[in-house]
Amino acid sequence: MSLAPPAAKPRRQGEGLAQAVILAGPAIFLAAFCVTPLVLLVQLSLSHHQDGGLWSPGFELTQYRALGEPTFLRVVGFSLALAASAAALTLSLAFPAAYFISRMRRRAQVAWLVFILGALSLSEVLIVFAFQVLLSSGGALVKALVDLGLMAAPQSLYPNLGAVLVGLVYLVLPYVILFLYPAVSRLDEEMPQAAATMGASPLRTFFLVTTPLMRGPLVSAAALVVIFTVSSYLTPLVLGRPENWTVGVHLSNTALDAGDMPLAAAQAVLLVTAVVGLLGLVRWIGGQRAPA
Amino acid sequence: MFGLAIDRLSKTYQGQPAVDAVSLAIPHGQFVCFLGPSGCGKTTLLRMIAGLEAPTSGSISLNGRDITQDPPNVRKFGMVFQSLALFPHLTVGENVAFSLRLQGRTGSERRDRVDALLKLVRLSGLEKRAIGELSGGQRQRVAIARALAQEPQVFLLDEPFSALDAKLREEMQAELRQLQEQLKITTILVTHDQREAMTLADSIVVMGEGRIQQHGAPSDVYRAPANRFVANFVGLSNLLQVEVLDRQTVRLGERVLTVTPMPEAGLGARAVLSIRPENVQLADPAAPCVDSNTVVGRIASIRDMGANMEVQLDCDGGRLLTVVRSREWIGAVAGEEARVWLPKEDCRVFGA
Repeated sequence: MSLAPPAAKPRRQGEGLAQAVILAGPAIFLAAFCVTPLVLLVQLSLSHHQDGGLWSPGFELTQYRALGEPTFLRVVGFSLALAASAAALTLSLAFPAAYFISRMRRRAQVAWLVFILGALSLSEVLIVFAFQVLLSSGGALVKALVDLGLMAAPQSLYPNLGAVLVGLVYLVLPYVILFLYPAVSRLDEEMPQAAATMGASPLRTFFLVTTPLMRGPLVSAAALVVIFTVSSYLTPLVLGRPENWTVGVHLSNTALDAGDMPLAAAQAVLLVTAVVGLLGLVRWIGGQRAPA
Repeated sequence: MFGLAIDRLSKTYQGQPAVDAVSLAIPHGQFVCFLGPSGCGKTTLLRMIAGLEAPTSGSISLNGRDITQDPPNVRKFGMVFQSLALFPHLTVGENVAFSLRLQGRTGSERRDRVDALLKLVRLSGLEKRAIGELSGGQRQRVAIARALAQEPQVFLLDEPFSALDAKLREEMQAELRQLQEQLKITTILVTHDQREAMTLADSIVVMGEGRIQQHGAPSDVYRAPANRFVANFVGLSNLLQVEVLDRQTVRLGERVLTVTPMPEAGLGARAVLSIRPENVQLADPAAPCVDSNTVVGRIASIRDMGANMEVQLDCDGGRLLTVVRSREWIGAVAGEEARVWLPKEDCRVFGA
């Protein structure tokens, strides 16, 4: 893959102006609603913390030093591990799902895609509280498990790490299937067939040919899940114990319960930096030995 | 039987037969071409032989053993796909060694075999290259080497040369033929190019509408087409509407022509006479006009093609006859009258 710069075209007069006018809208929007809050956030993170949720302008690195505290680092580490697990789980479900949907007949494909799009129309709040009901000791799932004899007495299936993971995977799964679907549809059907004529079983074909061919989209999808889940807030808060809480939950506690806005701002800056760094890493991995 | 045997093999897609009760025997070591227009079922037949498509009915056996239910990875017939399907995430050497890696051969065994195969297809020293760095002809050779690495019992090629330019295609055809003679491997090549089929194959299977129209040596298929479809598809043929008089004579306009005896099968009164353009002979203008197998016409157009001349003859109102003869027509002008002789043994009559 090479992205050569387009050959210089003779510019007609006014073309530059038209381009500027067209780009002005999105540029103003971005500046107003993305760059400005970010600048304010950085400014806040450098301010001086005062009691009672107040702060005074200043320029100090106290907050950034506090980021090095073991408790906070543990939370960061947990968030990353949670996001990575969610990504691995989601991909192992979404990739085969997208693959089999893309191999169905046209009509069945459309039905599945509409169904998955439908799942996206539910809000996160609704889904998370629905999971809370489902996993509770009086919920349908526990009742079924007791009736089947798989559980001795009704006991709640949350809050715990498993519940958090299930909730997160459920939330991102439709996005990832829809993200992978176009790439999987374009996969040359003759590649796995060629592997088969050389003696590869379907399983080995999947791991030796199909998966490597889909490396780019899979890495991007994994990044999507990590970015989506690393800062998740509601799901770990509702379905998890305090030790399952992510950076997002801690950040909110710092700001609202402890009232330390500058420290919360510094934590947020760290989170944004980490996500941007991750995106850069994904781009770099994706650029290595990309399929021709 | 030693070799590949296909027995009443059919494939139906949504009620439409793509391959219709095809039976065929290919002796071990033969080079066979499936020749036909697009949509004739030749690729479907090849894919069923590879195991990539399940037949609706019928059976395939190899050396007397029924393999109809075997999946492609058990049959392991090396196949070169139309798209080549080289793996872009692997190097040339890794592509060729793919089947060897699946067999669990050691690294040094694989290296030796890859070296030998790349030498065979004249790509020595390129094993470290990425697929994207190769030219069209080089990719072709990698695909062939990769399919041969597992020493398959049957070697299948699906229109492998259709993407190459004319000169490179002929080079690759010659190389493939040499390779096949050297390895003595049963080979099936699918093509819609009758020149390719004629020059490569020991025998040609002409397919049309899901059925075998004719199976025979290239020269037999060309000289003695079995029916109108083959006459029309393999090489050029003049097809003239005639009226059947008896087994050996037909009426073309006002002329009565003697033809190769027709098969017993009851042809209707209306039939088609087929003759190759190069078999149409210019008659000596001085000879008396008694030979019943001559036709008189007006020259509609002449095309000088260098080695040959192509002449369109308008005879008996509206019928055009394409005649290709070397230099005999020099001096002839469009609009002139000409007399041509249709040798009896080159005239074949088929049902309309």
